[in-house]
Amino acid sequence: MNGPKHTSASSSSGEKQSWLDDTQNIDKIFWGVIFLSVILMLLEPFYYKKPYFSFEGSFGFYGWFSFLACAGLVLVARSLGRVFERGEEYYDADRNSGEDNR
Amino acid sequence: MLLAHLPALVIVIPLICAPLCVLLRGKDWAFIVALLATWASFACSVLLTIQVMKVGTISYAMGGWAPPYGIEIRLDALNVFILLIVSGIGSVVAPYARNSLLLEHIEERAYMFYCAYLLCLCGLMGVAVTGDAFNLFVFLEISSLSSYVLIALGSDRRALTAAYQYLVMGTIGATFIVIAVGLLYQATGTLNMADIANRLPEAGYTNRTVIAAFAFMVIGAGLKIAIFPLHQWLPNAYTYAPNIVSAFLAATATKVSVYILLRFVFSVFGVEFSFVSLPTAIPLLVLAVLAMFLPSIVACFQTNVKRVLAYSSVAQIGYMVLGLGFVSVAGLTASILHLFNHALMKGALFLVLGAVFYRIGSCNIDRMAGLAKQMPWTMAAFVGGGLSLIGVPLTAGFISKWYLILAALEKGWWYIVVLIVVSSLIAVVYVFRVIEAAYFRDAPDDLVNVAEAPISLLAPAWILVFANFYFGVETSISVGIAERAAQSLMGAG
Amino acid sequence: MLWGIPPGLLLILGVLLVPLLPGAWRKAYMTILPLAGLWALAGAETGVFYTFTFFTYEIAPVRIDGLSLVFGYIFHIAAILSVVFAWHNNDTVEQMAGLAYAGSGIGAVFAGDLITLFIYWEAMATTSVFLIWARRSDSAFRAGMRYLIIQVGSGVLLLSGAILMAHQTGSVAFDKMTLGNLATWLILIAFGIKCAFPFFHNWLPDAYPEASVTGTVFLSAFTTKCAVYVLARGFPGTELLIYVGAAMAAFPLFYAAIENDLRRVLAYSLNNQLGFMVVGVGVGSALAINGVAAHAFAHILYKSLLFMAMGAVLYRVGTVKASELGGLHKSMPLTTIFCIIGAASISTPLFAGFIAKSLTLSAAAKDGYPVIWLILMFASAGVFLVSGVKIVYFAFFANDGGKRCKEAPLNMQIAMGLTAILCVVIGVYSPWLYSLLPNDVAYEPYTLSHVINQLQTLIFSALAFALLIRFKFYPPAVNSIYLDFDITYRKWLPVLYKWIVSLVSPGWKSMLQDLRNGLHRMVAYMFRHHGPEGILARTWPTGSMALWVALLLGGFLLIYYS
Repeated sequence: MNGPKHTSASSSSGEKQSWLDDTQNIDKIFWGVIFLSVILMLLEPFYYKKPYFSFEGSFGFYGWFSFLACAGLVLVARSLGRVFERGEEYYDADRNSGEDNR
Repeated sequence: MLLAHLPALVIVIPLICAPLCVLLRGKDWAFIVALLATWASFACSVLLTIQVMKVGTISYAMGGWAPPYGIEIRLDALNVFILLIVSGIGSVVAPYARNSLLLEHIEERAYMFYCAYLLCLCGLMGVAVTGDAFNLFVFLEISSLSSYVLIALGSDRRALTAAYQYLVMGTIGATFIVIAVGLLYQATGTLNMADIANRLPEAGYTNRTVIAAFAFMVIGAGLKIAIFPLHQWLPNAYTYAPNIVSAFLAATATKVSVYILLRFVFSVFGVEFSFVSLPTAIPLLVLAVLAMFLPSIVACFQTNVKRVLAYSSVAQIGYMVLGLGFVSVAGLTASILHLFNHALMKGALFLVLGAVFYRIGSCNIDRMAGLAKQMPWTMAAFVGGGLSLIGVPLTAGFISKWYLILAALEKGWWYIVVLIVVSSLIAVVYVFRVIEAAYFRDAPDDLVNVAEAPISLLAPAWILVFANFYFGVETSISVGIAERAAQSLMGAG
Repeated sequence: MLWGIPPGLLLILGVLLVPLLPGAWRKAYMTILPLAGLWALAGAETGVFYTFTFFTYEIAPVRIDGLSLVFGYIFHIAAILSVVFAWHNNDTVEQMAGLAYAGSGIGAVFAGDLITLFIYWEAMATTSVFLIWARRSDSAFRAGMRYLIIQVGSGVLLLSGAILMAHQTGSVAFDKMTLGNLATWLILIAFGIKCAFPFFHNWLPDAYPEASVTGTVFLSAFTTKCAVYVLARGFPGTELLIYVGAAMAAFPLFYAAIENDLRRVLAYSLNNQLGFMVVGVGVGSALAINGVAAHAFAHILYKSLLFMAMGAVLYRVGTVKASELGGLHKSMPLTTIFCIIGAASISTPLFAGFIAKSLTLSAAAKDGYPVIWLILMFASAGVFLVSGVKIVYFAFFANDGGKRCKEAPLNMQIAMGLTAILCVVIGVYSPWLYSLLPNDVAYEPYTLSHVINQLQTLIFSALAFALLIRFKFYPPAVNSIYLDFDITYRKWLPVLYKWIVSLVSPGWKSMLQDLRNGLHRMVAYMFRHHGPEGILARTWPTGSMALWVALLLGGFLLIYYS
């Protein structure tokens, strides 16, 4: 992850390089998100909360709940996807034979 | 003076003009005579309607022989309503004949066509006006025989077979009717319908002769109406007949047959006999419901659009019989109203198909693909008529269904309401199949340069389409007459 | 009202002129028409107009009040934006269908009775299907047909309910209803179908992704929001709706998370947003109804913007499959920015969604529904993930898919730009939207705690996404169908039908065969003297007809003499 590794799919065509073509910059974004998360958590003690529910007032509720919600959503969807996944032609498969019967 | 003889004139005009067409021979002359005759009849019908609505039932003794011995012409609200439908459709369709005959390869026999057309009109109107049971049979035969000729004029060779089948079935039906009339004569000793109605209670409701007469009458009329499952003659006849004939017959012939059923079951036999002492309603309702569904489903799978409409007619007849089976003023109103509205929508749709056939020589759904681009006015008229057929609000078709649903609700039969609504959905399918083809598919390669239909074909179709929308909004005329007719039918029993 | 023409009808009647106008004039006309409608509406007085009696029922074609006005405004705005987005398109049918559809939606919102509502309801169904068919592909045709059947079916239920209602109460007025009899249940189900309630929802993710590039933008605005409006009008405070809405807000996200077709992802997340609104209707307090109206307003804007961006991608690249896209920010920088604004508008402070969605969440919290509130929080974080981050990431960033294309056409850029500006303006200056809302409720979205909490929600959602992507836990997008409830009618029903046919048909066939053999013998006998063999063979159906006559006569006589 160290060093200037310029990976690009289309540099050969002479196209203008995008800032995002550099994986280092993508790392920067990744760490930026983590940095922002930490900052937002650090803000917790410094503002007045008026929770409707008791659990809502717990430390960093919005942060960790959202994180768990999203991670859970994707992971559950991923496993559900394996169960419910069918080929693209699933609904078309018997249509042709159905028309023959008519 | 002349006004007093209007009831006779309305049928005498076409009767006299029919041979005139043959004598004149020239196709232009025959056309003019036929046109004038139908329009004159229509004018007479309108005058008669106004008169009946004003003064009530008109009785006219033919040749001055007083009923019940002489032949009586008797006009109440129901009679004039049927008269209006038949002569109205007749006069809208007549101008259409001139052009549409050209491509159906019968122009050299045009005078024969006009003659048969006028005779058929005369027969149908005769059935509607006469007060004499045997006379009714005679007029029915006049109309039937001429309609066999009309159907046989179709350019397709299968028209002959279709006409032949229709002939066989029509004759069976007419025979049944004449058997019924004969049995009634045996039981009551009279042929005047009002007179029969008066004398029947004397003969007794359990009289076997009368019951047999009733059964023959219901089946005979049912055959002419094409009540499911007695409908099989209809699809072929409508499909292979010349387009103008399909339009005319679909809008009038079955309607007149429904009139016969109504008149005999309600006025002559009476509600007391037909529905209270005999279990007639349930079988009719069952047949009606079957008719609403099975032929509709068949219609969804047809490739010839004329056939689609023909099967749809059988389904629509189901609605009429359904209203009749309710045995209530509301139900009869709905039935009679649907007679009128269905004549408007089917007339319009068949005329549209005539225009299509005129340009592309086929009514096949695949040949009609992409037609909306080349014949926008024609296909727009089809959409208008189709919407009415489905029963979309603001069209005549909606009004009939609305009254039918009201009648069912009045009886508290929810499931019938559901059936009516669901069967309308099937109509959506078969109408939209055609619309989808015409608007969304590409035209076949050889049909890319098709011209719009000539105005003489479009105008009659559009008149009927407008009528569909007019009577879908302004209902006082149609509903008013239908209500009065229904009340008098129920009151007569 | 403009020249005395009711709102909605103005567009529908105006459509008739569209085919008569040539190219540029037509586009100008189509843009001015909804603008004129909006202008007329802005000056409209509240009240009920054009009432008349039809049969014995009071018909109120136009009812203008606070609730209908908000939806009226946004529907006009959506129509204008969608028309601009479609300027490049010269398909007459699609142009007409789009405007007529918008007009029907507007008309439905101002309908003061159930009959008028039904008419516009079916008009919406029949006009909108042309936007799907306009894609002119086989699968679009079939999806459109399924869509049409379901939509028209909803109208039929509505009509049945209205008739029952008229029968019971003697009135067809469209006001607040309480569940309890068949009539109101039918009406609720009719609304529910259009609103994509769970198990009725399949038409939405089925049909919207199949519609044309411009058609989907139209579609996303009207049908479902009209359904939300009628629910808010007819069933506010119906507790059942809270649970239905919560389910709706949650389950579509699981599909959206793994679906490959990005317009289908948007369709599923549209369904999820409807869930929020349905919860609001179910809560039914003044604050909640305000939340529903505000959310619908904002949602139409940002969902249109997202569908526009995906439409632009589809138009230029020819696909919106996540698996085939990526790296488009180089080719379509402006579209990327607009799409990011659309994604941000879902719930980021300073954007439209934030000030709208908070109302519903607060209303649910205030009325004491902790579990529902948690589900909505989950849905709120989830929708940002799937219809915000996922869409933007897979379409415009991710691994460069190697696709190179031109930037979106100018008119699309204008439409997206206008929509984006609206999203921002509404979000920054919250009093403007709030002043349009039907109820007077004081609410301040920009409190410190609210803003921080919302930012925590968003950033941690993004963090989850970043981690999942980085450690390759995010399921790769693949071309496939994920089974949904539509398997019942697209798979099981045909299978069941075939099974029944296979069971019944042998017996049926042999029965028919017996009948036919009998008929043949009978016909041969009846027609022995009537012609050559050839005719006999052709005319045997006549015999079967005669048989039916005989059977029926026998049947009637049997009944009568028994």
